[in-house]
Amino acid sequence: MRHPVLSSRRLRSVAAVAGGGLVGSAARTAVGLMIPAMEGGFPASVIVVNLLGSFLLGLFLARWERATGGATSLRFWAIGVLGSFTTFSAFSTDIVELLAADRVLAGVGYVGVSLLGGLALARVGRRIGVVVR
Amino acid sequence: MSFVALSVAGAFGAVFRYVITGWIQSRHRSGYPVGTFVVNITGSLGLGLVLGFDSFESVGALAAIGFFGGFTTFSTWMIESLGMGLPSLRAVLNLAVSLFGGVLAALAGFMLMS
Repeated sequence: MRHPVLSSRRLRSVAAVAGGGLVGSAARTAVGLMIPAMEGGFPASVIVVNLLGSFLLGLFLARWERATGGATSLRFWAIGVLGSFTTFSAFSTDIVELLAADRVLAGVGYVGVSLLGGLALARVGRRIGVVVR
Repeated sequence: MSFVALSVAGAFGAVFRYVITGWIQSRHRSGYPVGTFVVNITGSLGLGLVLGFDSFESVGALAAIGFFGGFTTFSTWMIESLGMGLPSLRAVLNLAVSLFGGVLAALAGFMLMS
């Protein structure tokens, strides 16, 4: 077996993602407990984790590219921590729940804030990561 | 207890995301981040199924919610779209297809279970 499925290198990369995923998921759960849903069930905590996570991923990747960081730090922080801290499944199910409750304006606002905010903050994070030493 | 279940399940979700996106991205050359799209759409369907199924209190439901939370990712979707160059057609397409695909998948999950 020249390419075993469970080589020690592969196990190490999976462990980095798993450790990061544990930290990111725990942090997202903690934010969810700290920020209750706004009046009428507007999903504020999902907005917070997705916008903050997009900013931090932009910042991290810019720094990582500059420092030519290792594969393990990319797996732990980018794929594990920040990949899991942010979430898409809650975003899409929230949209369905808002629309199903006839709260179309809230749904459109949720999509707009998440997408425009996420893109803008990811870009700002990248800029800061490039500019700040 | 539920905090631990959600977090540990999220770690499993992250590993599945890592393995599946890596497998998909190594097998196609379109330049589109298809791996992220696939995990986000299937994860939206999965969470829709779990939330459409009414018993929330079980550890199994919590583990499933935690799993799909960690399995899907918003930040990577943002960074990959940004990397495709806004406001290019490719980037807008990557945003729109995931957005509508995710909503439809979540809706399908809810409807299949209700």
